[in-house]
Amino acid sequence: MEKRSFSSWLGTFIPCFLLWLLLTWSLELREIILGAAVSAIVAWFTARFFIHKKPFFLLNPVKWVHMVVYAVVLVVEVIKANIAMAGIVLSSKCKTCQSGIVLIPAGEDIKSDYALSTVSNAITLTPGTITMDVAEDKTGKNYYYVHWLDLQETDPEKAGEMIKGTLEKYAGRIWK
Amino acid sequence: MIYAIYVFIAIGVFFSFVGTLGVMRMPDVYGKLQASTCIATMGTLSITVAGVLYAIHAGMGVSVCIKLAILLLFVWGTNPVSNHALIKAAYKMGVKPYKEFKIDSYKEEEKK
Repeated sequence: MEKRSFSSWLGTFIPCFLLWLLLTWSLELREIILGAAVSAIVAWFTARFFIHKKPFFLLNPVKWVHMVVYAVVLVVEVIKANIAMAGIVLSSKCKTCQSGIVLIPAGEDIKSDYALSTVSNAITLTPGTITMDVAEDKTGKNYYYVHWLDLQETDPEKAGEMIKGTLEKYAGRIWK
Repeated sequence: MIYAIYVFIAIGVFFSFVGTLGVMRMPDVYGKLQASTCIATMGTLSITVAGVLYAIHAGMGVSVCIKLAILLLFVWGTNPVSNHALIKAAYKMGVKPYKEFKIDSYKEEEKK
């Protein structure tokens, strides 16, 4: 948790205010003043949780392109995993399939807390895998503990390849 | 256009049904949590897409589409957090799985 500063407050205030404008979808003076007041209060309390180092990393158009690409990749992965999950639930496999908790290593460009939580949320969003914890060893390499319903591979590297696929590459580009 | 909306709603209802059935059929808490993810991901996604298509079809304007997209973003953002917390809490409480875990790497982490 960082100390409050004006730039971190502004970095939280701008996305909050944009979200307010998108949700109300009107440019009346009354709405704008109310939105600015609410965003200012919310940003004052939450800035130190959201902003760690660079306050304006989200206001970069290149990042938005990376985010859209990442969203498309995520949706494709989620659809594939959902079909697999429907296969498990609708067959007799749900009583017999062997589950387990595997340890998988994070990629090299996954360093910050944001990137780690993005990838672990993506793993949790795909049905069949849920991230239980994130750990860091002495050399600074990060690991995920993943509960896998239909366990197929126990080797960390290969299991990581099967669970994460290309997701981690695209998530790493956002939070470089 | 209207048939595309029907197809998306049908897909959403099917995956919500699969998720609900999974919650009932799975033998242990871990499997139930895994199955419930289907409802929040594919069910919400297809029905939101259907809603966006309907808003375009009925000429409701951009604001409705953006509100639906933000709705999807919130559901997809909060569901993994709660699922992660629930499964970790279940493990720490010592809930036994229906079949013994084939590999349990988390046990060593607990001892540290």
